[in-house]
Amino acid sequence: MSDAKPVRTDTLTWKLLPALPFVALIAGWSIYWLIARPPVGTLPPAWAVTEALWQLAADGELLQNTLASLGRLLLGTTVGVVTGVVGGFLVGLNRRAADFLNPLVVFFNAISGIVWLPLMIGWLGIGTALVVFLIWNTVFFLVFQNTVLGVRLVPPVLEQSVETLGGSRLHIILNVTLPGALPYILSGIRSGLGFGWRALIAAELVGATVGLGQMIFRAAEFHRADIIIAGCLVIGLLGVLMDRYLLAPIEKHTIERWGLVTPSRGI
Amino acid sequence: MDATSPDKIIVEGFQHFFETADGPVQATGLIDLKIPAAEFVTLVGPSGCGKTTLLKAIAGFITPTRGRIVCDGKTVTGPGRDRGVVFQELAILPWRTVRRNIGHGLEIAGVPKAERERTVARLVALTGLKGFEDRYPHELSGGMRQRVAVARTWAADPDIILMDEPFAAVDAMTRLTLQEELASLTFSTRKTVFFITHSVDEAVFLADRVLVMSKRPGRIKASIEVPRRKAGGRDWESFTTDPEMQAICEQVLRLVRDERMDGAARPGETPDPLKEAS
Ligand SMILES: Nc1ncnc2c1ncn2[C@@H]1O[C@H](COP(=O)(O)OP(=O)(O)OP(=O)(O)O)[C@@H](O)[C@H]1O
Ligand SMILES: [Mg+2]
Repeated sequence: MSDAKPVRTDTLTWKLLPALPFVALIAGWSIYWLIARPPVGTLPPAWAVTEALWQLAADGELLQNTLASLGRLLLGTTVGVVTGVVGGFLVGLNRRAADFLNPLVVFFNAISGIVWLPLMIGWLGIGTALVVFLIWNTVFFLVFQNTVLGVRLVPPVLEQSVETLGGSRLHIILNVTLPGALPYILSGIRSGLGFGWRALIAAELVGATVGLGQMIFRAAEFHRADIIIAGCLVIGLLGVLMDRYLLAPIEKHTIERWGLVTPSRGI
Repeated sequence: MDATSPDKIIVEGFQHFFETADGPVQATGLIDLKIPAAEFVTLVGPSGCGKTTLLKAIAGFITPTRGRIVCDGKTVTGPGRDRGVVFQELAILPWRTVRRNIGHGLEIAGVPKAERERTVARLVALTGLKGFEDRYPHELSGGMRQRVAVARTWAADPDIILMDEPFAAVDAMTRLTLQEELASLTFSTRKTVFFITHSVDEAVFLADRVLVMSKRPGRIKASIEVPRRKAGGRDWESFTTDPEMQAICEQVLRLVRDERMDGAARPGETPDPLKEAS
């Protein structure tokens, strides 16, 4: 594996190269700001955002909001992944369960998202339950549909071969179907996490008193565009970090190690 | 069915049709077959004549449209660990190392680790996979992967071994060794073997009996006895110089060549099964 990888990808230059578009973006933004001088309440300069970020970090507000958001995201995502994988296996393995559950899933998938908010505020009140529900509602469908596909794409001959070795149904599900479907399950989790962030921030606008979404919402009331952009930076950065230090290592030690996908070049 | 029958595998009035979107496709003609315990039967026939279909029915993965399969006096209703299968397509698990693939059957059977490792080591040596025990299948060559599949089935030690062109992707030199090993191993352990191949030499070399199938929908059109293997199995040197064996090879070859190749089945041209059976 490692010997097949071109040496170039490991050099420092190649590792830092992905930062280039970000640098270009900040440079373009700064130049535009210096020339056009838009009002700070609409578009602050990059250094003002840096300062806002520094201030938020210094008085502990940023950490508090970030932890609150991350906690909800992880809770909602975990519940979404577990229910999505279990449901996906049920439907992927069982024709009858598929016939029974599929219309239900398609129906509710169509009305997923923020549509639920007015109803759910009445049912769950404003608080963690509401936010977690909205994240679950996003993650579940992505993980579910990917899992169903993954389960169906495991070559039957792999399951059959283990049957002839005396493997029980449960043994085969755990040792053949699950690892076989893993590339799709992980892909579902990856999109689930991405869309989960979006759902989280949207949900926090109304459903929470702390959190990054709430921080951005309050900043908007005071026309603090610097805090809004600082919040966006933190969200995007956390997204990148989670992908890189949570999902990528899992992929590296499973589906890449097994040769089910070619190793990604990382970000 | 008489459970004391000497026949390990009985195929009775077997005929199979596949349901497709364009209607049923006849995969095999009427097949009747008895394989006594400890016999090594090889099957040759043109591509698409129904060899794999028959093997999968014996394995329990295909429910016959007509007739039935009896193994050890019991009608086959599904797969079981008494019938080990080496599939035509590659069927080892990509997420298990060579070692864990080969030991998989023993692991399922609950064999203690130390004993499992011993069996695995023996088969690794036998199949020439030494040094690759901890590699994953995608790091092996095609022939090596196929050897892992063979070793996995042997390790599980089933009574009946069903093999579908197991050596097709193996290099010529290793193939000779594997064939000799298979011949002596199955002879000394009295395994019942059903072995599909396209190689006439291989079929005759390994077999107690060679079956030749006609083109699709295939029937067994000839059954040629090969004189009993001697205690130590066979080896290729004496096989190629034995005029009796070479005569059998020629006979089988002639029978096979009579069957014009007739690729895939075409739906809608299914012969009347009743007429076929009479
Ligand atoms: N799942 C299936 N659905 C429809 N038709 C099938 C199916 N499997 C096999 N067939 C058809 O049945 C016939 C017999 O197939 P089978 O795989 O048994 O052939 P074979 O003798 O093993 O051929 P080969 O030597 O090429 O492996 C073929 O003509 C094939 O097209
Ligand atoms: Mg075949």
